Amino acid sequence: MFTYLMLTVKNLHTYFYSEGNCTKAVRGVNFDLAKGETLGIVGESGSGKSVTALSILKLIDQPPGKIEKGEIIFKTEEKTTELIKVPESEMHRYRGKHIAMIFQEPMTSLNPVMSCGDQVIEAILIHQDISKAEAKNRVLALFKEVLLPDPVSIYDKYPHEISGGQKQRVMIAMALSCNPDVLIADEPTTALDVTVQKSIIELLLKLKEDRSLSMIFISHDLGVIAQIADKIAVMYKGEIIEYGSCKSVLQNPQESYTIGLLACRPPLDYKTRRLATVENYLYSDKLPFKEEKIKVEETEGRLERLAAQKPILKVDGLKSYYPKKRNFFGKTTEYFKAVENVSFEIFPGETLGLVGESGCGKSTLGRTLIKLMKPIDGSIEYDGIDVLNCPKSQLKALRKKMQIIFQDPYSSLNPRMTIGQAIVEPMQVHKLLSSDAQRRDKAISLLEKVALKPEHFSRYPHQFSGGQRQRICIARALAVEPQFIICDESVSALDVSVQAAVINLLKDLQLEFDLTYLFISHDLAVVQYISDRILVMHKGKIVDRGTSEQIFKSSQNKYTRKLISAIPVVSF
Amino acid sequence: MLRYIFKRLLTGIAVIITIVMLITTIIFLAPVDPAQLTFGQRAETGAVAAKRTALGLDKPLYIQLYYYLRDISPINIISLADAQKRRYAFTSIIPLGKKKLILKKPYLRESYQTGRSVSAILSEAIPKTILLALFAITLASILGIFLGVIAAVYKNSWTDNIAVVCSVIGYSLPSYVTAIILALIFGYYLGDLTGLNVQGSILELDDFGDPVYVFKNLLLPGIALGIRPVAIITLLTRSSMLDVLNMDFMRTGKAKGLQKTKLIFKHGLRNALNPVATAITGWFAALLAGAFFVENVFNFKGLGEVTVTALINFDIPVVMGAVIFTAITFVIINVLVDILYAYLDPRTVLY
Repeated sequence: MFTYLMLTVKNLHTYFYSEGNCTKAVRGVNFDLAKGETLGIVGESGSGKSVTALSILKLIDQPPGKIEKGEIIFKTEEKTTELIKVPESEMHRYRGKHIAMIFQEPMTSLNPVMSCGDQVIEAILIHQDISKAEAKNRVLALFKEVLLPDPVSIYDKYPHEISGGQKQRVMIAMALSCNPDVLIADEPTTALDVTVQKSIIELLLKLKEDRSLSMIFISHDLGVIAQIADKIAVMYKGEIIEYGSCKSVLQNPQESYTIGLLACRPPLDYKTRRLATVENYLYSDKLPFKEEKIKVEETEGRLERLAAQKPILKVDGLKSYYPKKRNFFGKTTEYFKAVENVSFEIFPGETLGLVGESGCGKSTLGRTLIKLMKPIDGSIEYDGIDVLNCPKSQLKALRKKMQIIFQDPYSSLNPRMTIGQAIVEPMQVHKLLSSDAQRRDKAISLLEKVALKPEHFSRYPHQFSGGQRQRICIARALAVEPQFIICDESVSALDVSVQAAVINLLKDLQLEFDLTYLFISHDLAVVQYISDRILVMHKGKIVDRGTSEQIFKSSQNKYTRKLISAIPVVSF
Repeated sequence: MLRYIFKRLLTGIAVIITIVMLITTIIFLAPVDPAQLTFGQRAETGAVAAKRTALGLDKPLYIQLYYYLRDISPINIISLADAQKRRYAFTSIIPLGKKKLILKKPYLRESYQTGRSVSAILSEAIPKTILLALFAITLASILGIFLGVIAAVYKNSWTDNIAVVCSVIGYSLPSYVTAIILALIFGYYLGDLTGLNVQGSILELDDFGDPVYVFKNLLLPGIALGIRPVAIITLLTRSSMLDVLNMDFMRTGKAKGLQKTKLIFKHGLRNALNPVATAITGWFAALLAGAFFVENVFNFKGLGEVTVTALINFDIPVVMGAVIFTAITFVIINVLVDILYAYLDPRTVLY
């Protein structure tokens, strides 16, 4: 089927040097890519998959990066080139023209001050000697090919004026503009909603057929890779540990790491007590993971028990708007209705899942609940207290009971505070415990609770990985002994395996401290796993609600069905 | 956009009225009698009192304020009887019975010292200062942005280090010190070689008493004024460029095959310019407001010199005129900056 090899990477080593330290990001990677073939590279963050991709086009910043050794042989019908030996001043002839690339973040990968059309035209005019008018026609044709709605108007729009999915389509159009032989897609769908992700993958599959493109598709999500790749390379700590056809790797994985990766996604059709993590498979000293299914009767019993209580949080007719247009005197004349007439209740000890795509208002709802934002209308009642109209002194007590854990563990910790200070501070604010020594002891016990070590107390956030930081945020939220925690996309930025571990932790803590969660996420699989009941939010409104089972197995709602069908599943 | 400009101009007028109120109050409270000052030491009491009445200084503060605002407002309602006494030309628009609505140039009164009209004094000084400020800021912008970009692209190299160290030195040097150094070296010691004058303004009288433009007289004061802005612009461009160079879209540009120079200037610089634009326009407004020290060193006879001389002599109308001009400059330049932002970055929303 595949005629000849386009790209061969042999023994590639890329290292990063900083302050005398050498990080060996890529250590001896070998793979090849035939014409019309798609190679999927899968691995967790820091596994070296992006660095491998960037090394092919020599897009690594040098310094600090350096391609230490290896060969990258690029073959077209006319000639064979060793890309590593091509001097930097000549590299631009290959970039974009023969090998094109699309990136993870469509939001930041386009130049914000240039119109979309101009950015694609630029790519064409670099490599081809044609008139601007001709190039414009070609751009419009490309926009049509990548299924952008209304190509003529998008042509003149700036990146901030179009949606994330549309931006990624512009990126794809730009990458394809010079008919490249190889397309490298570095996590092209990770930052997008599941439904958009699905449509982008369909587009890439179609383009691959139409143009017989060779493609390198990088993702941390095996489900996505499974849908698009002909063969798979699994990367771990800078090396390819498993390499083979898509089918053989998924059906019959040899390495324990691959097995772990496949196992740690939450299952969709039944519930388990705990999720597997990669560690369960990697280290032989740990007990082998045994999946423990939860019986349907147990789930039903729990739901009944929860619903029999008095609700801890009651939200009625809540409306949160953002100003959209203002008149001459600065008065708002038009609103963006982020949360429109939302009512629900949460029972003590329950996990309520709130799921929806980006921009549906789910985060605004979370912020409004703890009064980080003032709603236009509606009422919020927490444990009998009217949250919106209570006096300041009561509000402070409420804040102690209600905590929030944000999405991005990198920006939600103050980089100049040790994590110990970060955890102790809320206790000081709420005057918990009588002395700082006691607070310190409590912080250390909390660190242990979230599987960190006491010696981490005086370290700074940058010394931790993403998963560890999210654990710190959880410890900080727990410091004031809250009853109710809002998890706003708290596991979305984490690798699947780390995500599984954090979800396990959240479940353990719920049992131990009797916590109630509002779990906000765009990831239906995760929400389904952790939640007792689920609300589906779309354009500011709750469009579907029910128990996790009902939503997943028998929902009649069209939107819910669309979300569920877009979940990437590893199928054999 | 138009709505925005209109709104900003309204706030601008409020700013000017506030400034007039502030200065009038300060002068009213100051223990100096401007009427006395116009006569000098040996004035007769009667004459001084007459002068006070003529200048309206015997009136209470709010009346003085009202008179002044009425004088500077371009639109006014005056009574017909009053009209003859006015010392300025006006065009009537609508007659309103015994009164009429008139349109006039803002009347800034006359200097206490020389009796010349303040408008005339200012219109003589301002063009010189505008030319000087424009020259200095253009020089500073071109040099500063270029140095900043180079420093950012070759970060931590010797070029970068030199640029940064020079910037810090340049910024630390007071402009009058640079002015004196420049005047001494290039005007005095090397004067024959460079052909530059130690002192002189852009508009000088030639041997026959006719005014001539001497553009080379811009050079030294322009450089002296420009050195601090160059330093600031270099440092700002550098740090702003360093941020931009690490952004994802720069990598996209490289991946599509753009060559380095084009990538840096077309994609990088345009995104890095916002803070730099703030600095440039801010400095330009400050330079327009008068650069007394440098103007003094070079005897440039610009706005700064006029203002300071007037202040020393308590020549209130001139001070007021200069301050109002400065305020208007700042208001207009701020509006222009905001429009410039919107042009540089399409994400900007003007309210």
